[in-house]
Amino acid sequence: MGQNNSSAITGLDQPGQAFPPPQPLASVPSRFCTPRASREQLLTKRTISQPNGAGGESDFDVCWDLLREALRDIHNKNCSRLSFEELYRAAYKIVLKKRGDDLYDRVTKFEEEWFSENIIPKIQELVTTSLVNISTDNTVASVNERRQTGEKFLKGLRDTWEDHNMSMNMTADILMYLDRGFAHNDPTRASIFSMTIALFRDNILHSCLDSTSGKRVMEILISVMLDQINMEREGDVIDRGLIRSCTRMLSCLYKDHHENEAEKLYLTSFEVEFLANSRAFYAGECEQLLRESDAGTWLRHTQRRLNEEVDRCETTIESETQPKVSGVIEDELIRKHLGDFLAMEGSGLKWMVDNDKVDDMSILYRLVSRIDDKMTALRDVLQKRVVELGLEIEAAVKNTDFSLAAADGEDAAEGEKAKTLNPAAQHTAAAIKWVDDVLRLKDKFDHLWTACFQEDLIIHTALTKSFSDFINMFSRSSEYVSLFIDDNLKRGIRGKTEAEVDAVLEKAIILIRYLQDRDMFQTYYQRHLARRLLHGKSESHDVEKQIISRMKQEMGQQFTTKFEGMFRDLVTSAELTSGYRDRMSLAGKSVDLNMSVLTTNCWPPEVMGRQVQIGEGSRVTCTYPKEIERLQASFEQFYLSNRNGRKLTWIGTTGSADIKCTFPAIPGKQGALSRERRYEINVPTFGMVIMLLFNDMADDEWLTFEEIQAKTDISTQDLMRTLTAIAVAPKSRVLLKEPPTKSIKPGDRFAFNAAFQSRTVRIKAPIINAVSKVEDSQERKATEEKNNQDRAHVIDAAIVRIMKSRKELVHSQLVTEVISQLVGRFKPEVSIIKKRIEDLIVREYLERPEEEESPNMYRYVA
Amino acid sequence: MDVQAPSKYVTLISSDGFEFVVLREAAMVSPIVKGMLDPKSQFAEAKHARCVFQEISSIVLDKIVEYFHYWYRYRNSEDVPDMDIPVEICLELLAAADYLGLDHVNLNSK
Repeated sequence: MGQNNSSAITGLDQPGQAFPPPQPLASVPSRFCTPRASREQLLTKRTISQPNGAGGESDFDVCWDLLREALRDIHNKNCSRLSFEELYRAAYKIVLKKRGDDLYDRVTKFEEEWFSENIIPKIQELVTTSLVNISTDNTVASVNERRQTGEKFLKGLRDTWEDHNMSMNMTADILMYLDRGFAHNDPTRASIFSMTIALFRDNILHSCLDSTSGKRVMEILISVMLDQINMEREGDVIDRGLIRSCTRMLSCLYKDHHENEAEKLYLTSFEVEFLANSRAFYAGECEQLLRESDAGTWLRHTQRRLNEEVDRCETTIESETQPKVSGVIEDELIRKHLGDFLAMEGSGLKWMVDNDKVDDMSILYRLVSRIDDKMTALRDVLQKRVVELGLEIEAAVKNTDFSLAAADGEDAAEGEKAKTLNPAAQHTAAAIKWVDDVLRLKDKFDHLWTACFQEDLIIHTALTKSFSDFINMFSRSSEYVSLFIDDNLKRGIRGKTEAEVDAVLEKAIILIRYLQDRDMFQTYYQRHLARRLLHGKSESHDVEKQIISRMKQEMGQQFTTKFEGMFRDLVTSAELTSGYRDRMSLAGKSVDLNMSVLTTNCWPPEVMGRQVQIGEGSRVTCTYPKEIERLQASFEQFYLSNRNGRKLTWIGTTGSADIKCTFPAIPGKQGALSRERRYEINVPTFGMVIMLLFNDMADDEWLTFEEIQAKTDISTQDLMRTLTAIAVAPKSRVLLKEPPTKSIKPGDRFAFNAAFQSRTVRIKAPIINAVSKVEDSQERKATEEKNNQDRAHVIDAAIVRIMKSRKELVHSQLVTEVISQLVGRFKPEVSIIKKRIEDLIVREYLERPEEEESPNMYRYVA
Repeated sequence: MDVQAPSKYVTLISSDGFEFVVLREAAMVSPIVKGMLDPKSQFAEAKHARCVFQEISSIVLDKIVEYFHYWYRYRNSEDVPDMDIPVEICLELLAAADYLGLDHVNLNSK
């Protein structure tokens, strides 16, 4: 119909606007009764034609009677015979007749009466004394009894609620026009549904049905619910759905008619109580755990409780409570006694660490990370344990007797000497044990870090700091680390694959990273490296270079310049040597001379013959035999021919020589001794010098220690060392010594050992100082002293550098800057810096300004 | 009718006895019709998926049903064509729309 009609209402382009809201209702009713519509029997017809007529009152009563009957039927679940349309129309008419407020009030009154007549008696029956007792004192009845009473009450209340809820939904549906035409226009009235549903709160929950205790139904309800929840916590099975229905009910009701979401009864009444109850429950439980259990049980228990509460929020109460109740557990079960549990003897964190309880610690980490981002407690214990274990390693190394342990492995080159094992080798073994143990500890904690602590950065930083702490607490760490590398490069990496070598290097670098006094390490490394290089003890120059380049990455170029210089020297030396040999062979001579030309600054002072005691004969002295002097002169000439301004100094201590010796046949002896024997002996350079002395002497002529020293001018220490090699060491005893003891003392006499014999033709005399060993305390003191001197220079340089750019600076600021500049090398003590500043003032690099207002000021003197 | 599976169509009957079979989903645009015919509702209409509008003539109800389908068809589209409304039934239609709750409040909350 009407599709050809041109008078379309405009503005109907959207469905929502098709029918405007019923604002001008007043004019509508009369038009509603068009002639066509009036053909039908219309209830409205008469009343609308006379809106305020006398019939209005009776019409209202007719409609209300209809509705009242319907409400009753709805409550009695007997509404299938009712016509929705008829009821709706009744309400519609009442509203159109402006009697909406009457209807609203009557419905309210009807519902209240319904409550008092039909519902409250039912509930009253449920509120028994035993039920009320649950809320006051839950020790009276047995658990089972309590559960049954509680469930009965909850069920009753739930059923009442569900009936009411459904009835009110239906009521609201048929009274929909009341809302639209009346309640919506009156801001003081809630919608009919809100109003009627809230009646449940006012008439049931807030009513006091037990005159003796004066408790309201709501209080009883909540305590019964909490009682049930506590039963479940204790391990009983409860009707979760029932509890949930009750929380749903409380979520549907509000504190007042504003229906503010934040003021749901669930939140304002139940949740508050629930959280308080949980707090009390878990506080008690935690106390009990603390008294009766160990940390492992606590961890698992807490984890289980957390999961339970999450589960409870999903199934039994509302999920919005979950973060809050988790917070309660975190407070009560974790935070409050975390320290106590961590410190538990025989099960605490210390025990877990020692026994590698990966699972326990993973749980612990998860729990602790819930309550504290920084993990302070966990971190502190771990740090303390690392330092403890580190110090234990140190103590263990000190207390271990290495004379046995090292006998088989330690320095095979020393042969029998190792069996009596000198203190030096023991020290080396101790150093290696220390480093190995530290690395093992590091591996252990790395493993824990990945397996338990989810690679947490904070933990990592803390662990690194602790390692660094205890390593630096140990005064010999720099030396031990260098020795460890030394040992590996000398023999440790033999026969290993590239990857394995790489792992060793990585470990070495890790340790170096921890060291604070890097200048000390530098000194030791330089010394050890020099020995390795000059005595050809290094297993692989490639690996040496690798480790240096790694150090360069870690510590910077400055750190490795000297090491690189050492390698450079060796390369140029090899070129020089072959150049010199070529020259000589051109001249028709064949000279077997290997030279190492070393740059003074790059090599450790000991090697360079500059002993620590500066000033006292700073060069290695030696009177060389004529033959050797000639050779030296010839090389010097060759070297200086294309280099200007260089000075060569000969250092006998680090060289060696091959000597062909002939031992005469000894008459009257059997076997080898009866023949003439030729051997080729490799001895230290000084050994050669000494042996050559005996060339010109009769077999049975003796030289005393002092005579040898006078002839050669070799320093006492070096001489003792050399004589040990050729007069004591059993395999290369080409000199006889009197008295035949094992140590060389001034006053001893020496003679040619004509009866020397050896199974091999080539013999190598041991180089007594070639073993990189731990220093004895005296040497160590010297090294430290030396290092302190170096540091003084470095600090001086840093101060001057800073002052030069800043011109004027306050004392404290200067100290801070110096420390920050030097942090990569070592950690200077403030007192030393102060002393250096004083010194620089004396030397007039700095001055204190005259002005009064700046007492702590320094100024750079240009 | 079976409450578990509501029928796809419902029947609306005008005061003069005309029956309109309408897509249930389309008719549900009216909260009143929804209240009557929703399977959860326990009133007589819901049982038979039929409701009689004793005060709406077939002419008006026809237009209303047309609107139900019009709304249903264009409920998710933009650029909706106008619907023709014959002038002579405008007021009746307006009153019926009010009766059926087809105003801003309800439609916007859809």
